[in-house]
Amino acid sequence: MTDTDLIGALRTLEREALAAVAAAGDEAALETVRVAYLGRTEGSISKVLRGLGALSADARPAVGQEANRVKGAVSEALEQKGASLASSARGPSEDLTLPARTPWRGGLHPITQAVDEIWHIFRDMGFTRARGPEADTTWYNFEALNTPLDHPAADEQDTLYLVDSVLLRSHTSPVQVRTMEAYEPPIRIVAPGWVYRRDTYDATHTPAFMQIEGLVIDEGVTFVDFKATLAEFARRYWGSDTQVRFRPSFFPFTEPSAEVDVKRVVTKPDGTKVETDWLEVMGAGMVDPAVLENVGYDSERYTGWAFGMGPARIAMLKHGVDDLRKFFENDMRFLAQFAE
Amino acid sequence: MKASARWLRELVPGLNASAEEIADRLALRGAPVESIVALAEGLEHVVVAKVITAERHPNADRLSLCTVDGGQGVVSVVCGAPNVKSGGWYPFAPVGAVLPGGLEIKKAKIRGETSNGMLCSAKELGLSSDHAGILELSGQFTPGEPFVAAMGLDDATLDVEISVNRGDLLSHVGLARELATDAAGDVARREIPGAPAVAFRYEPGTPEVRVGGVSVRIDDPDLCPRYLGAVIRGIRVGPSPAWLQERLRGAGARPINNVVDATNYVMLELGHPLHAFDLGRMAGSAVVVRRARTGESKFTTLDGVERALTSDMLMICDAEKPVGVAGVMGGLHSEVEPDTTDVLLECALFSPKSIRATRKALGMSTDASYRFERGVDPEGMRHATERCVTLILATAGGTLDGPVLDCSPSVFEPQVIELRLARIERLLGIPFTADAVRGLLSPLGFQVLGAASGGAAATLRVRVPGFRSWDVKREVDLIEEIARTHGFDKFPSQLGPYRAGTVPDHPLFQLEDSLRAALVGRGLFEAHTPAFAPEDEGDVEVSYPLSATERFLRRSLVPGLLRRVEHNFAHLNRDVRLFEIGTSFRRAGKGEPPREATCLAAVLTGLRTPSHWSAEDEPFSVWDLKGLLEDVAGRVYGADAAVTPGCSDARFDGAASFKVSSSGGAEVGRGGRAAKGAVDAPVWAGDVWALELELPAVPAASAPVSHRPLPTLPPIDRDLALIVPASLSAGALETAIVAGGGRLLESVTLFDVYAGPGIPAGTRSLAFRLRFRASERTLKDAEVDKAVTSLLATLEDLGVGPRG
Repeated sequence: MTDTDLIGALRTLEREALAAVAAAGDEAALETVRVAYLGRTEGSISKVLRGLGALSADARPAVGQEANRVKGAVSEALEQKGASLASSARGPSEDLTLPARTPWRGGLHPITQAVDEIWHIFRDMGFTRARGPEADTTWYNFEALNTPLDHPAADEQDTLYLVDSVLLRSHTSPVQVRTMEAYEPPIRIVAPGWVYRRDTYDATHTPAFMQIEGLVIDEGVTFVDFKATLAEFARRYWGSDTQVRFRPSFFPFTEPSAEVDVKRVVTKPDGTKVETDWLEVMGAGMVDPAVLENVGYDSERYTGWAFGMGPARIAMLKHGVDDLRKFFENDMRFLAQFAE
Repeated sequence: MKASARWLRELVPGLNASAEEIADRLALRGAPVESIVALAEGLEHVVVAKVITAERHPNADRLSLCTVDGGQGVVSVVCGAPNVKSGGWYPFAPVGAVLPGGLEIKKAKIRGETSNGMLCSAKELGLSSDHAGILELSGQFTPGEPFVAAMGLDDATLDVEISVNRGDLLSHVGLARELATDAAGDVARREIPGAPAVAFRYEPGTPEVRVGGVSVRIDDPDLCPRYLGAVIRGIRVGPSPAWLQERLRGAGARPINNVVDATNYVMLELGHPLHAFDLGRMAGSAVVVRRARTGESKFTTLDGVERALTSDMLMICDAEKPVGVAGVMGGLHSEVEPDTTDVLLECALFSPKSIRATRKALGMSTDASYRFERGVDPEGMRHATERCVTLILATAGGTLDGPVLDCSPSVFEPQVIELRLARIERLLGIPFTADAVRGLLSPLGFQVLGAASGGAAATLRVRVPGFRSWDVKREVDLIEEIARTHGFDKFPSQLGPYRAGTVPDHPLFQLEDSLRAALVGRGLFEAHTPAFAPEDEGDVEVSYPLSATERFLRRSLVPGLLRRVEHNFAHLNRDVRLFEIGTSFRRAGKGEPPREATCLAAVLTGLRTPSHWSAEDEPFSVWDLKGLLEDVAGRVYGADAAVTPGCSDARFDGAASFKVSSSGGAEVGRGGRAAKGAVDAPVWAGDVWALELELPAVPAASAPVSHRPLPTLPPIDRDLALIVPASLSAGALETAIVAGGGRLLESVTLFDVYAGPGIPAGTRSLAFRLRFRASERTLKDAEVDKAVTSLLATLEDLGVGPRG
């Protein structure tokens, strides 16, 4: 073999070796490549280096120089590839403790969340949602609901009027009337919506607030169904160990009428469970036959029950919000607490 | 209704309950108690003491040095009150006592003399604001006797919330009746100490009764069905006896004099308001019950206020003029005065509606009007009269002169209601026997007159007592009484089966749900704002508004949200992303409810994503606003909704605004950069972007998605950089490309906009990626080349050519 042939053979070996290094997928494969080319005994480049002694003194320097260059290049490639394989086993070289890129987080208003939670429980018990106008007539807000305008009951909710017989509804109960006018029994609805009263802003009053109405009308609906459904709601909402109390009350559009109180079990920070006081959570009752007659239902045939509750008050209790006005400030930091 | 716990206990023998227990029982009877105030809270340490000697303090003219027997031996006390006298009895706070204000009594040296306690004024004891001197006590006491017991102050006042239908509960007897059904006792009435035996006689008549020189006439029987007048002569007006004063105080009333106190006592006991007129000041010794006449436009009530009368107000008059507003308040000039000797005691029945209209027109409410409005017992009038006359005779002396005048144009007919046992079960869900019904209704004063027969078909006849005649008129009212008396909590709580309702879940709620979810997903927070707005933001006015800034109902949700942005700016929140779904109001026809629309509004300001170390901060821009507007418009109005530049609304900056048109062409939304002046923003704040979109009242159900097979053959993409005259919009150019691209053109995407060096002045470069595909065969380059050449030819007409 001439020295020129040898140099050509070295370069071929170099190409092969570098390709083999590049192709090596893991450290074991890389070691096989190293042994094949640079192994002390069988390595093909090592063999060439060992054969230098057989060359003429003239040829030896040129071939030796080339052989060393090739050995260096392959060694370097092996080393780099080795480092790369080792690091890819560890992971990339970036500092992954740096903060991630995130989108903005949004959230529903806490009162909407309360409305939805309440509605979802009633949905699971077969209710659908109905709605009605916020500005309505005295007929729908009072008279159809068995509340004559000259009766003191019409004063109970201090009403905001627009013109003579048009007002901002003082409760969601007008939706009862409108729904019964539009549909035949069985009726099984909830009606969330804004209502308005002549209240000035303080910690527990706002002139506009959300209410959720509920109405069930069918044949054979009784006081027992009424109690059972609302008690079931309360246990699903506040927990299965919640106690529910029905207290006699008065609403012109229900008879009998009741206030519903709950006594919850709450877990204190130290893990002990304590009962809360009784909390009034809704007004309710069996639909007064006069209301059914006003919408043209046969009150001998159909009976039913209704309720109204304030999700803002329920949200206050749930989240420990001490002032209703915070719900209206819409401070981003406040709203973000309910999206955590 | 303020009720005395002691009084209630006395009325219900066997009711051995604390004020708190009474409150709990009343709550379960439907009359919750809002507060309980112990009359003498914090006076446990105060005793009754006798001042043995009282001499001037040796070192101070205005002080007295007393020796006081407070039951723990005689001690020296320095007293500053001018009215301390030797031999007098006073409340005494010994050393160590703590008074209601928190004052702790300590042994003290005052001007060199030791004081071992304090003789107290009514104010110091928290009993009244009277601080003129120490409280002088009259009666028989022993030194050291607890003050509270000695004064009968061991009572508590319950503030009972009475629902508007239960006028009968505005009395101690009424409340006692509810408590008695629990205690299984009867309502007992206190014997009036010193009451003379009086034989009551009545002189009935209509429309006028006249006895002796006194007459009662009812001119307007529609507003006053009955009027009883008792004449008492020779009374001596003075303070009431202690027991009566205590009773009134316990029920939250202020003692005035023996005559007025008697009427108040009977009102608090029985619920019937009575009024005593000074007969000597009644012209013609006559009572005429009639509407105010023209010319009688002014009247001064006994609170000294001049009131404007109208001709529909019922007045109590003498022979010449009004002397009282019927059922509301007496007149100043017929009031019982210290020198009054003859009175006419009125016990009348008035129309609740008339009383309500009158007192509302006069802008007042009194204990009397409150009860008349809710209805008083038409069967208890003679009893109330007799009770009050007896009380006056016992406390003010005098004699009842002749029979009581009983002018009754209409006679009360008690109501008898038919009550079907089957109906009770149908409503309440559990059966009640006739005996059970009788047992539940009788203690409340209802008389069950008998059942036709036994069994479920039975119908009972129930007579309603007068005091319940106002709220129990129908069978269902009796059923409520049965449920209430049985106890709501005794009913089983058993969920039964139900039928699905006929009402579909309202599609607008469903649309709102999906919009809320989408906006929350885009990083916005939902806001709730009330619908009230200042005048320039609404055209529907609220009558008697709550405040000047809340006189109107909002036309748009945007201004309210911008105010929320300002609130956030004020709290240094730079990044604000809010939306709201709420109602807007617009004026409709005269006398009609306003037109309402449910609207979505949103505001954006600050950074479009949270700051990140890897990139420069980027604020919200017009492209974010446009994207959000297109998103919500598409969700509400479908693909046909068009978002086009420019809107006429001055609240938005015309250079960066859009309007949304529905497929019908109606403008249904708008958005853009909030105009200068629309937001009060600090200097550091970025642009504020806002949008609003009206939602349809009843959204149409969206058509189901129709699946399209995915392409199986490869597309060919061509990038086309075009030189475009500045006058041609990207939107118009894209429309032209779509129109001229031929049927193989699948999509057009703008990917670069450039203006500057290398581009002729007055033009810009827009680069589009065009994707061509044939669905049935593999496309050839030559076909695409042909399509592009043809497209470029059509674009030439618009002055558009390929970039070099």
